[in-house]
Amino acid sequence: MSPLALVLRKYLVAAFVSLRNKAAYPGNLLGSLLSYAIFVFVFSRIWGTIYSGRAPIAGYDGRMAIWYFIIAEVTAFGFGRFFISLAQDMKSGQVAYLLSRPYDFVLYHYADRMGAAIPEAAVLLALGLSMGATFAGPVPLASIAQAFFLLLSLLLAGSIQFLLQFSLAMTAFWVEENTAFFWIYQKLSLVVGTLVPLEFLPAIAQRLAWFTPFPSIAYAPARIAVAYTPHEALRLAGLQAAWLLASALLCKAVFALGRSRLTVQGG
Amino acid sequence: MAVISARGLGKTFRTKVKAEGFAASVRGLVRPVWRSIEAVRGIDLEVEEGEVLAFLGPNEAGKSTTIKMLTGILRPSLGSATVLGLDPSRDRVALARSIAAVFGQRSQLWFHLPPSDSFRLLGAVYEIDGRELVRRQGELVERFGIGDYMDVPVRKLSLGERVRCEFAASLLHAPRIIFLDEPTIGMDVVAKREIRGLLEEVNKRDRVTIFLTSHDIGDIEKVCKRAIIIHHGSIIVDESMKSLKHRAMSRKIVGVKYAAPARPDIPGLEPIKRTQDAVRYEVDTGRHRIEEVLRFLVAAGEVLDITVEDEPLENIIAGIFEGEDRGASLAAAGRAAAGTRTEAAPPPARDEGREA
Repeated sequence: MSPLALVLRKYLVAAFVSLRNKAAYPGNLLGSLLSYAIFVFVFSRIWGTIYSGRAPIAGYDGRMAIWYFIIAEVTAFGFGRFFISLAQDMKSGQVAYLLSRPYDFVLYHYADRMGAAIPEAAVLLALGLSMGATFAGPVPLASIAQAFFLLLSLLLAGSIQFLLQFSLAMTAFWVEENTAFFWIYQKLSLVVGTLVPLEFLPAIAQRLAWFTPFPSIAYAPARIAVAYTPHEALRLAGLQAAWLLASALLCKAVFALGRSRLTVQGG
Repeated sequence: MAVISARGLGKTFRTKVKAEGFAASVRGLVRPVWRSIEAVRGIDLEVEEGEVLAFLGPNEAGKSTTIKMLTGILRPSLGSATVLGLDPSRDRVALARSIAAVFGQRSQLWFHLPPSDSFRLLGAVYEIDGRELVRRQGELVERFGIGDYMDVPVRKLSLGERVRCEFAASLLHAPRIIFLDEPTIGMDVVAKREIRGLLEEVNKRDRVTIFLTSHDIGDIEKVCKRAIIIHHGSIIVDESMKSLKHRAMSRKIVGVKYAAPARPDIPGLEPIKRTQDAVRYEVDTGRHRIEEVLRFLVAAGEVLDITVEDEPLENIIAGIFEGEDRGASLAAAGRAAAGTRTEAAPPPARDEGREA
């Protein structure tokens, strides 16, 4: 096996073992699926009532609004809770013991967490598509290219979510209690592009939103699903790639700075 | 050849002091008070290849912190260390390929998965080629007798079985040094015996250097050839186990049970326990000849039973810790009485500082 293949295998096996571990308790997935289904059901009713006999709002008709919500929530439910387990590892000191291994620390955790999250997001997406077909009509995927961009965009969104949440979790190197940071992150993420499309926000909020990573987390894949054009999909995927790079650099920098502050006393 | 070398290695932690009450909490936001804890105070040590070293000390002595610095987990606050010629904190990833760290209270096996999955992951993490991984895993499975439960979820294994798997997993990448931090903590006597046997075997067969910290004197007596005792972050004893045991052998516990009430009287010796028909003495053989002590005891009455035991090594080590503490207290009291400050005197374990 070539040296590169050996390195790649390291992260692939980490992802696979994490998936096996997740599969050991399929019941855990039920809670996530049930919450997602309730959210989708409630919001599809709300949008149905709001749009009853109304013209499109900011370019979105009732069907688009429901589909937007279904896709945007996949990123929130599928990739929105990395912080909790990462912060737990930091606070319990487990992170220190994981340092004594020959791997890229951030990449290993990425493989580990995404290995479990991607299949869960795939199941959520399948549930969302079937619920959307029931409440909003046909699935809005018109071509293979659109499906490809949607999946790519969801993967990029999940990766950005991981890197940002990892950076937030590592603030534990400086502050003892960092849950408040995640709470703010979650709420901003929800408001900026998850609950409603960006176009629904006031003009000033929209302009400000584009300077943040949040449109790359939920808006991009949801927009590709409901208003696909090749040009728009490329623009959004490009934006996501830029935020992925920025988040990766942030993550690396926070880890490098934080590691020197690591404090683990006692056995 | 020294595989571990440390020069003036030290680590100081800073923790925020949390005073009681709301007002103190508000004050803490504006002017936090920090406490510095000198966990390790500039230690020097050298460990040769193939050595089996016991690194001992009471709680908070600095044992685990030293291991974490030598394995690259923690960065030292002062001094330097090299392990296999590498700087642990700078070359952490490169060093990780040649060492193993087993922390008794942390598992490297996935709890809900069978050990075979963890072996597969560790093989990939250490970049062991597929065929080589199969060969090494097969060898370890046979050597450690874990074939029957390689496909059983770890949570369903007994502690002894889990530890055997844990230990085999840590050898998968053929490390040259194994750091073990309390490896037998919480184990029953059978599991402890197993792990000690495995450690001896690995050291003898593969010439693996073993750096062991443990509160269990049995681990140390059975496995180690050299002992370093660390206390309040400083090394206070560094000698061979033979010499440490010799200290134990120079003190004997002599016990006699008489057929009828008897009251032996040995000049210069006070019994540590006495009943109507039995007595126990602690005898320092450097000061009292054992033969003479026995003569006095036998002469005192009809003897039913007599025992002569070495003082347990545990007592000797506890005595060393206590001696250090007594020394430090006396020095501090002396300084207080004289109203002077002496740099050379042992510093207190903790000191407080204020930082805005």
